[in-house]
Amino acid sequence: MERLMTNYFETGAMILFGIGFVMLLLHNNLIKKIIGMNIMDTSIFLFFVAKGYIVGKEAPIIRQGHKIIGYVDPIPTALVLTGIVVAVSITAFALSLTIRIYEEYGTIELDEIMKKRGD
Amino acid sequence: MNIARNFPLIIILMLFISAFSMPIMKSVRKIKAFGFVTMSISTILAGCNFLYVKTNGKFEYRVGHFDAPWGITFHIGYIEAIMGVLFTIVATLIIWYSFFSIDKEIKENRISLYYLLINILVGSLLGMVFTDDLFNAFVFLEVSTLAGCGIIVIKDKKDNITATFKYLVLSSLGSGLILMGIAFLYPITGHLNMSLIHESIMALKGAHRNILLISVSTFTVGLGVKSAMFPLHVWLPDAHASAPTSSSAILSGLVLKPPVILLMKILYKVFGFEIIGSFAILDVILILGSIGMIVGSIAAILQKEIKRMIAYSSVAQMGYVFFGIGLGNELGLIMAIFHIISHAVTKSTLFLVVGAMIEKTGSKKIKDLKGIGKEMPITLGVFTMGALSMVGIPIFPGFISKWNLALATIETGRYMFVGMILLSSLLNVGYYFPIVINGYFGEENLEGKVYKSKVMPMKRLIPVFILVGLMVMTGVFSLNIIDMIRQGLV
Amino acid sequence: MQSLILREVSKMIIPFIQIFGIYVIFFGHISPGGGFSGGTIIGVSLILYRIAHGKEVAMNKFKYNSLIRSLCGALIFYGILKGYSFITGGSGIHFPQLPLGTAGNIFSGGYLLPLNIAVGIIVSVTVYFLFALFYEGEI
Repeated sequence: MERLMTNYFETGAMILFGIGFVMLLLHNNLIKKIIGMNIMDTSIFLFFVAKGYIVGKEAPIIRQGHKIIGYVDPIPTALVLTGIVVAVSITAFALSLTIRIYEEYGTIELDEIMKKRGD
Repeated sequence: MNIARNFPLIIILMLFISAFSMPIMKSVRKIKAFGFVTMSISTILAGCNFLYVKTNGKFEYRVGHFDAPWGITFHIGYIEAIMGVLFTIVATLIIWYSFFSIDKEIKENRISLYYLLINILVGSLLGMVFTDDLFNAFVFLEVSTLAGCGIIVIKDKKDNITATFKYLVLSSLGSGLILMGIAFLYPITGHLNMSLIHESIMALKGAHRNILLISVSTFTVGLGVKSAMFPLHVWLPDAHASAPTSSSAILSGLVLKPPVILLMKILYKVFGFEIIGSFAILDVILILGSIGMIVGSIAAILQKEIKRMIAYSSVAQMGYVFFGIGLGNELGLIMAIFHIISHAVTKSTLFLVVGAMIEKTGSKKIKDLKGIGKEMPITLGVFTMGALSMVGIPIFPGFISKWNLALATIETGRYMFVGMILLSSLLNVGYYFPIVINGYFGEENLEGKVYKSKVMPMKRLIPVFILVGLMVMTGVFSLNIIDMIRQGLV
Repeated sequence: MQSLILREVSKMIIPFIQIFGIYVIFFGHISPGGGFSGGTIIGVSLILYRIAHGKEVAMNKFKYNSLIRSLCGALIFYGILKGYSFITGGSGIHFPQLPLGTAGNIFSGGYLLPLNIAVGIIVSVTVYFLFALFYEGEI
């Protein structure tokens, strides 16, 4: 329990991951599915950035007249930036598909779409 | 200093750059020719690269100016070189075939987009195979997923859109899990390069076992979604059945394969056999693979549409690949890679042929294909060859992989799983042969069909014939290929 | 949504947004920012123009063909430049490279500045496309 409280970034990330995962899989509404996907991605980014953060260290940028002793690990940050770009493109693609689904079926509820496909 | 070492990178760069010059071009003919030419050049380069690897052995290629811990490296061994040749040559033949079929399936203003997506797709798949960097592999995986979704939805029918949405949601779940696996692995090793991660894990000496277990299971599930491992295959039949013909061939023949190769690399190269062997993960993969073989075949028998049947057959065949990985000995792994090659060639042939049948008869249903052997004898003949390979008749590659998988199973002493392979082969007979038999023979359904009335023009059949030739060659030269894969594993 | 206030205010504010975007792109390698964020800012200015002046005026000003041509051109430029750097570095050929410069100047960081500019063009056009497609259904 104490370990969970001291590593609260990781704990929060895992809770968010669970929320996003359940939303992605169990919700019938397509927009809510996409929101769940985004929450899941964000939780992973939070987890990754938290893993790279070192308490008391600064961002790795050179500035004149400013001496920094140690840096935060920049690689997780860079990776998360790439991950954000990927997540943005997937979200945009999924939203455009949702628009097309709405045009074709007239609804974005998954069970109603299944019903319409059945007959 | 050798120029041939640059070829893997040049292939990927050329495919990506040439893809984005397609929207600028005006005429459709030019776009098609350009796509075909770039893919053929990459085939030639991949062939040269293969010859180079064959004479000089495997090599590490440094991308850019920085060495391994900071920069990205490519690892080109036998397996990567073979996969490079396989992917480019199959993609070239599918593009050749698509010249004649794509106009009828998608709108004309989307053709440039289609060839753009195919080039990006093949480039990212090759990148995923070549790269030695985990995060780079993840990015290529995402690019290939988006491009794969693109070549399904480009047909713009109701079924395509829902199928693509399903594929996108499930594979974004998978990619989230893969990124999670990287996020668990990075803090305890401090590297993203596969060989350096392996060294760091070995230096841990048994510490952080739980983190390693979580990481390896998220990787397995995430890559299992992408390559249709048994309980996670639900997106595959919809997506592959509704896509245009040439897209189905690419999706089923090529897109499923690099995630499996990445999984093999993660299991055996990043973690290493000592750590994997101490978890139960290989047994899980073995059991899921064998269930996938059986369930995929049974589901294929129950289908009424021919394309869905072949898509479920893909699930069963991917089951063989996972079965080979899960056996955990050298022969099993070799046969998993060999089965990837044979399945890529065979399944793309089958999809192309079936696409031609559907186009000529105008029906997707299996029952409407009775008597097709009288109308399209050559096409059904090619289908029969593919079916024989899938079932596992000697000479064809399907037989060799099944035979050796059975041998590898006996080697591990788990005799029950040999029965699984036999049962799955028998089930394969159950759904491929009725089509062939009803097509050629049978009294009542041949009446009223004119002999060779719907035969395909010869120029359309040439790429299919070359694919069949490749398939037979894979079977005939299987010993050489297996030998090369064995050298590549070390 | 064509109000007079929005049109007049956007006339004043769009140049500042674009200058800020260009600043973020050009100083991306020596301070926080870069091609992606700067490109998004420029894309926002294009979106604001479209909202303020309506679909027809914006479609006349930013033609689909020229936008897609600049997008593809920037992508090809990015690919060729980065490919040149990759291949000369990977095979150890000592072809001329862009000078590194002194840290802290604008002309430093080798390939980062031209690549950032290419990324900025790509991202701004893409953001504008996404908005136009989702909001009005055509570019």
